[in-house]
Amino acid sequence: MTAFHREQAVIDACDAVIAELRELAPSLVFASVITDDGFEVTHAPSNAFDNGRLASMTSSVQALGDAVARELALGSNEYVVIALESGNLLQLRVPGQPVILAAVFDNHELLGKGLSVSRRGVERLGALLAAL
Amino acid sequence: MAEHVILFAGPMGAGKTTAISTLSEIAVVSTEAANTERDVVDKATTTVALDYGEISLSDDEKVRLYGVPGQRRFDFMWSILKERARGLVLLVNNDAPDSVALAVEYLGSFEQLIHAGGVIVGVTRVDTAPEPGLGAYRDALSAAWPTAMMPVLSIDPRDAGQMQTALLMLVAIVDARASIPAVAELSR
Repeated sequence: MTAFHREQAVIDACDAVIAELRELAPSLVFASVITDDGFEVTHAPSNAFDNGRLASMTSSVQALGDAVARELALGSNEYVVIALESGNLLQLRVPGQPVILAAVFDNHELLGKGLSVSRRGVERLGALLAAL
Repeated sequence: MAEHVILFAGPMGAGKTTAISTLSEIAVVSTEAANTERDVVDKATTTVALDYGEISLSDDEKVRLYGVPGQRRFDFMWSILKERARGLVLLVNNDAPDSVALAVEYLGSFEQLIHAGGVIVGVTRVDTAPEPGLGAYRDALSAAWPTAMMPVLSIDPRDAGQMQTALLMLVAIVDARASIPAVAELSR
Protein backbone atom coordinates (compact mmCIF):
# COMPACT_ATOMS: atom_id res chain seq x y z
CA MET A 1 0.00 0.00 0.00
CA THR A 2 1.44 3.35 -1.05
CA ALA A 3 1.35 6.04 1.63
CA PHE A 4 -1.04 8.86 0.80
CA HIS A 5 1.70 11.44 0.36
CA ARG A 6 3.51 9.26 -2.18
CA GLU A 7 0.51 8.52 -4.43
CA GLN A 8 1.26 10.05 -7.82
CA ALA A 9 -2.35 11.07 -8.48
CA VAL A 10 -2.41 12.94 -5.17
CA ILE A 11 0.90 14.65 -5.94
CA ASP A 12 -0.31 15.63 -9.43
CA ALA A 13 -3.52 17.15 -8.06
CA CYS A 14 -1.59 19.15 -5.45
CA ASP A 15 0.94 20.34 -8.04
CA ALA A 16 -1.88 21.49 -10.31
CA VAL A 17 -3.55 23.50 -7.57
CA ILE A 18 -0.29 25.11 -6.45
CA ALA A 19 0.38 26.11 -10.08
CA GLU A 20 -3.07 27.71 -10.24
CA LEU A 21 -2.41 29.58 -7.01
CA ARG A 22 0.87 30.93 -8.35
CA GLU A 23 -0.92 32.22 -11.43
CA LEU A 24 -3.61 33.87 -9.36
CA ALA A 25 -1.18 35.43 -6.90
CA PRO A 26 2.36 36.26 -8.07
CA SER A 27 3.07 37.28 -4.46
CA LEU A 28 2.90 33.61 -3.48
CA VAL A 29 6.52 32.88 -2.67
CA PHE A 30 6.09 29.35 -1.39
CA ALA A 31 3.33 26.77 -1.17
CA SER A 32 3.25 23.27 0.17
CA VAL A 33 0.70 20.55 0.71
CA ILE A 34 1.24 18.44 3.81
CA THR A 35 -0.57 15.51 5.34
CA ASP A 36 -2.17 16.05 8.74
CA ASP A 37 0.56 13.88 10.26
CA GLY A 38 3.40 15.93 8.82
CA PHE A 39 4.48 14.38 5.53
CA GLU A 40 5.01 16.65 2.59
CA VAL A 41 3.07 15.78 -0.57
CA THR A 42 4.62 18.49 -2.74
CA HIS A 43 5.85 22.06 -2.69
CA ALA A 44 6.84 24.90 -4.99
CA PRO A 45 9.25 26.36 -5.77
CA SER A 46 11.33 23.24 -5.55
CA ASN A 47 14.44 24.81 -4.06
CA ALA A 48 12.85 26.55 -1.06
CA PHE A 49 13.40 25.74 2.62
CA ASP A 50 14.05 22.46 4.41
CA ASN A 51 10.68 21.13 3.44
CA GLY A 52 10.62 17.99 5.55
CA ARG A 53 11.13 20.01 8.70
CA LEU A 54 8.68 22.69 7.64
CA ALA A 55 6.08 20.02 6.88
CA SER A 56 6.36 18.64 10.41
CA MET A 57 6.12 22.11 11.89
CA THR A 58 3.06 22.91 9.77
CA SER A 59 1.37 19.78 11.04
CA SER A 60 2.16 20.64 14.68
CA VAL A 61 1.00 24.25 14.35
CA GLN A 62 -2.25 23.16 12.70
CA ALA A 63 -2.92 20.63 15.44
CA LEU A 64 -2.18 23.16 18.18
CA GLY A 65 -4.59 25.60 16.51
CA ASP A 66 -7.23 22.87 16.47
CA ALA A 67 -6.59 22.19 20.16
CA VAL A 68 -7.04 25.87 21.03
CA ALA A 69 -10.28 25.94 19.03
CA ARG A 70 -11.58 22.93 20.96
CA GLU A 71 -10.60 24.53 24.26
CA LEU A 72 -12.46 27.74 23.41
CA ALA A 73 -15.46 25.79 22.10
CA LEU A 74 -16.08 28.47 19.48
CA GLY A 75 -16.19 26.23 16.46
CA SER A 76 -13.54 24.69 14.29
CA ASN A 77 -10.17 26.14 13.37
CA GLU A 78 -10.67 27.60 9.88
CA TYR A 79 -7.15 28.79 9.22
CA VAL A 80 -3.89 29.70 10.88
CA VAL A 81 -1.95 32.87 10.12
CA ILE A 82 1.64 33.51 11.10
CA ALA A 83 2.35 37.16 10.41
CA LEU A 84 5.98 37.54 9.40
CA GLU A 85 8.06 40.66 8.95
CA SER A 86 8.25 40.00 5.21
CA GLY A 87 4.90 38.40 4.55
CA ASN A 88 2.29 36.01 5.86
CA LEU A 89 2.13 32.25 6.24
CA LEU A 90 -1.40 30.91 5.85
CA GLN A 91 -2.41 27.36 6.69
CA LEU A 92 -5.77 25.90 5.72
CA ARG A 93 -7.06 22.36 5.98
CA VAL A 94 -8.35 20.88 2.73
CA PRO A 95 -12.03 20.01 3.24
CA GLY A 96 -12.69 16.30 3.61
CA GLN A 97 -9.05 15.32 3.10
CA PRO A 98 -6.18 14.59 5.50
CA VAL A 99 -4.05 17.40 4.08
CA ILE A 100 -3.16 21.00 4.79
CA LEU A 101 -2.19 23.80 2.41
CA ALA A 102 0.58 26.08 3.64
CA ALA A 103 1.07 29.22 1.58
CA VAL A 104 3.53 32.05 2.09
CA PHE A 105 2.71 35.41 0.52
CA ASP A 106 5.12 38.32 0.47
CA ASN A 107 4.29 41.82 1.66
CA HIS A 108 2.91 42.82 -1.72
CA GLU A 109 -0.24 40.86 -0.97
CA LEU A 110 -2.95 41.88 1.43
CA LEU A 111 -3.73 39.22 3.97
CA GLY A 112 -7.36 39.11 2.82
CA LYS A 113 -6.40 38.50 -0.79
CA GLY A 114 -3.97 35.77 0.22
CA LEU A 115 -6.68 34.17 2.30
CA SER A 116 -9.22 34.39 -0.51
CA VAL A 117 -6.81 32.78 -3.00
CA SER A 118 -5.86 30.07 -0.50
CA ARG A 119 -9.51 29.26 0.26
CA ARG A 120 -10.15 28.87 -3.42
CA GLY A 121 -7.15 26.57 -3.63
CA VAL A 122 -8.23 24.25 -0.83
CA GLU A 123 -11.76 24.00 -2.19
CA ARG A 124 -10.41 23.08 -5.61
CA LEU A 125 -7.93 20.61 -4.13
CA GLY A 126 -10.65 19.06 -2.00
CA ALA A 127 -12.75 18.48 -5.11
CA LEU A 128 -9.83 17.05 -7.08
CA LEU A 129 -8.80 14.65 -4.33
CA ALA A 130 -12.38 13.55 -3.73
CA ALA A 131 -12.66 12.60 -7.39
CA LEU A 132 -9.62 10.30 -7.32
CA MET B 1 3.47 26.11 44.33
CA ALA B 2 6.06 23.53 43.32
CA GLU B 3 5.71 22.41 39.74
CA HIS B 4 7.33 19.51 37.99
CA VAL B 5 7.38 19.29 34.22
CA ILE B 6 7.64 15.70 33.13
CA LEU B 7 8.05 14.58 29.54
CA PHE B 8 6.77 11.36 28.07
CA ALA B 9 8.85 10.30 25.09
CA GLY B 10 9.46 7.18 23.06
CA PRO B 11 8.58 5.63 19.74
CA MET B 12 5.20 5.89 18.07
CA GLY B 13 2.83 3.36 19.58
CA ALA B 14 4.67 2.98 22.89
CA GLY B 15 1.70 4.31 24.89
CA LYS B 16 2.60 7.94 25.65
CA THR B 17 -0.83 9.41 24.96
CA THR B 18 -2.50 6.60 26.87
CA ALA B 19 -0.16 7.09 29.84
CA ILE B 20 -0.96 10.80 30.06
CA SER B 21 -4.69 10.12 29.71
CA THR B 22 -4.44 7.57 32.51
CA LEU B 23 -2.63 9.96 34.84
CA SER B 24 -4.18 13.32 34.10
CA GLU B 25 -6.78 14.87 36.37
CA ILE B 26 -7.84 17.31 33.66
CA ALA B 27 -9.16 16.64 30.17
CA VAL B 28 -6.03 15.94 28.17
CA VAL B 29 -5.05 18.46 25.52
CA SER B 30 -4.23 16.33 22.53
CA THR B 31 -3.01 17.00 19.00
CA GLU B 32 -3.87 13.81 17.20
CA ALA B 33 -3.81 13.60 13.41
CA ALA B 34 -4.81 10.81 11.08
CA ASN B 35 -1.87 8.45 10.63
CA THR B 36 -1.21 8.16 6.91
CA GLU B 37 1.52 5.55 7.33
CA ARG B 38 -0.52 2.63 8.60
CA ASP B 39 1.96 0.27 6.95
CA VAL B 40 4.67 1.49 9.33
CA VAL B 41 2.67 1.56 12.57
CA ASP B 42 -0.90 0.31 12.51
CA LYS B 43 -2.54 3.10 14.52
CA ALA B 44 -5.45 5.26 13.37
CA THR B 45 -4.02 8.47 14.78
CA THR B 46 -0.71 9.89 15.92
CA THR B 47 0.40 12.83 18.07
CA VAL B 48 1.86 15.64 15.96
CA ALA B 49 2.61 18.37 18.53
CA LEU B 50 2.03 17.38 22.14
CA ASP B 51 -0.25 15.85 24.71
CA TYR B 52 -0.78 17.77 27.91
CA GLY B 53 -2.18 16.69 31.24
CA GLU B 54 -1.88 17.61 34.90
CA ILE B 55 -1.85 15.78 38.18
CA SER B 56 -1.78 17.24 41.69
CA LEU B 57 0.53 15.57 44.18
CA SER B 58 -0.69 17.78 47.03
CA ASP B 59 -2.31 21.18 47.50
CA ASP B 60 1.04 22.79 46.73
CA GLU B 61 2.57 20.41 44.26
CA LYS B 62 1.51 19.91 40.67
CA VAL B 63 2.96 17.79 37.90
CA ARG B 64 2.60 18.99 34.32
CA LEU B 65 2.71 16.09 31.90
CA TYR B 66 3.83 16.65 28.32
CA GLY B 67 3.88 13.89 25.73
CA VAL B 68 6.02 14.49 22.66
CA PRO B 69 5.49 12.98 19.21
CA GLY B 70 7.33 9.72 18.71
CA GLN B 71 8.56 10.30 15.18
CA ARG B 72 11.95 11.90 14.77
CA ARG B 73 10.59 14.29 12.14
CA PHE B 74 8.94 16.11 15.05
CA ASP B 75 12.15 16.41 17.06
CA PHE B 76 11.84 20.21 17.12
CA MET B 77 9.00 19.63 19.62
CA TRP B 78 11.39 17.53 21.72
CA SER B 79 13.84 20.45 21.79
CA ILE B 80 11.15 22.96 22.75
CA LEU B 81 9.65 20.88 25.53
CA LYS B 82 12.78 19.36 27.04
CA GLU B 83 14.06 22.83 27.97
CA ARG B 84 11.29 23.06 30.56
CA ALA B 85 11.40 19.49 31.75
CA ARG B 86 12.87 18.15 34.96
CA GLY B 87 12.09 14.51 34.36
CA LEU B 88 11.49 12.04 31.57
CA VAL B 89 9.40 8.92 31.31
CA LEU B 90 10.73 7.04 28.33
CA LEU B 91 8.22 4.47 27.11
CA VAL B 92 9.39 1.75 24.75
CA ASN B 93 7.13 -0.97 23.39
CA ASN B 94 8.85 -4.30 23.81
CA ASP B 95 7.49 -5.58 20.50
CA ALA B 96 9.34 -2.89 18.52
CA PRO B 97 12.22 -4.12 16.36
CA ASP B 98 15.48 -3.83 18.31
CA SER B 99 13.66 -2.14 21.17
CA VAL B 100 16.72 -1.98 23.45
CA ALA B 101 18.75 -0.04 20.88
CA LEU B 102 15.68 2.12 20.31
CA ALA B 103 15.56 3.01 24.01
CA VAL B 104 19.23 4.00 24.00
CA GLU B 105 18.74 6.04 20.83
CA TYR B 106 15.78 7.97 22.23
CA LEU B 107 17.51 8.58 25.55
CA GLY B 108 20.46 10.05 23.66
CA SER B 109 18.16 12.84 22.50
CA PHE B 110 17.32 13.70 26.11
CA GLU B 111 20.80 13.33 27.57
CA GLN B 112 20.58 16.52 29.63
CA LEU B 113 17.75 15.00 31.66
CA ILE B 114 19.84 11.93 32.39
CA HIS B 115 22.55 14.06 33.99
CA ALA B 116 20.55 16.88 35.50
CA GLY B 117 17.02 15.66 36.03
CA GLY B 118 15.57 12.22 36.35
CA VAL B 119 14.67 9.44 33.95
CA ILE B 120 12.54 6.34 34.21
CA VAL B 121 12.30 3.80 31.44
CA GLY B 122 8.93 2.08 31.13
CA VAL B 123 8.83 -1.00 28.93
CA THR B 124 5.33 -1.56 27.56
CA ARG B 125 3.57 -4.52 25.90
CA VAL B 126 5.61 -6.99 27.90
CA ASP B 127 2.49 -9.13 28.22
CA THR B 128 2.46 -9.85 24.49
CA ALA B 129 6.22 -9.60 23.89
CA PRO B 130 8.10 -10.89 26.94
CA GLU B 131 11.52 -10.69 25.28
CA PRO B 132 13.90 -8.90 25.57
CA GLY B 133 13.83 -8.93 29.36
CA LEU B 134 14.28 -5.84 31.50
CA GLY B 135 17.86 -6.90 32.22
CA ALA B 136 18.79 -6.30 28.59
CA TYR B 137 17.61 -2.69 28.90
CA ARG B 138 19.47 -2.21 32.20
CA ASP B 139 22.69 -3.57 30.71
CA ALA B 140 22.46 -1.36 27.63
CA LEU B 141 21.67 1.77 29.66
CA SER B 142 24.50 1.03 32.10
CA ALA B 143 26.90 0.61 29.19
CA ALA B 144 25.81 3.89 27.61
CA TRP B 145 25.60 5.93 30.84
CA PRO B 146 27.64 4.09 33.49
CA THR B 147 27.11 6.63 36.28
CA ALA B 148 23.41 7.32 35.70
CA MET B 149 20.63 5.82 37.79
CA MET B 150 17.68 5.02 35.55
CA PRO B 151 15.06 2.61 36.87
CA VAL B 152 13.67 0.26 34.24
CA LEU B 153 10.11 -0.94 34.85
CA SER B 154 7.64 -3.09 33.05
CA ILE B 155 4.59 -0.92 32.78
CA ASP B 156 1.06 -0.86 31.38
CA PRO B 157 0.13 2.71 30.37
CA ARG B 158 -3.55 1.89 30.94
CA ASP B 159 -2.96 1.00 34.58
CA ALA B 160 -3.41 4.04 36.82
CA GLY B 161 -1.69 2.42 39.81
CA GLN B 162 1.41 1.49 37.83
CA MET B 163 1.61 4.89 36.20
CA GLN B 164 1.21 6.73 39.51
CA THR B 165 3.93 4.62 41.11
CA ALA B 166 6.31 5.37 38.22
CA LEU B 167 5.51 9.06 38.35
CA LEU B 168 6.06 9.31 42.09
CA MET B 169 9.34 7.45 41.73
CA LEU B 170 10.46 9.89 39.06
CA VAL B 171 9.45 12.94 41.08
CA ALA B 172 11.37 11.55 44.05
CA ILE B 173 14.48 11.09 41.87
CA VAL B 174 14.16 14.63 40.51
CA ASP B 175 13.71 16.08 44.00
CA ALA B 176 16.62 14.09 45.40
CA ARG B 177 18.96 15.18 42.63
CA ALA B 178 17.84 18.82 42.92
CA SER B 179 18.95 18.74 46.55
CA ILE B 180 22.52 17.94 45.46
CA PRO B 181 24.06 21.37 44.73
CA ALA B 182 26.28 20.28 41.84
CA VAL B 183 23.37 18.55 40.08
CA ALA B 184 21.01 21.44 40.76
CA GLU B 185 23.55 23.75 39.10
CA LEU B 186 23.59 21.53 36.01
CA SER B 187 19.83 21.75 35.64
CA ARG B 188 19.81 25.56 35.60
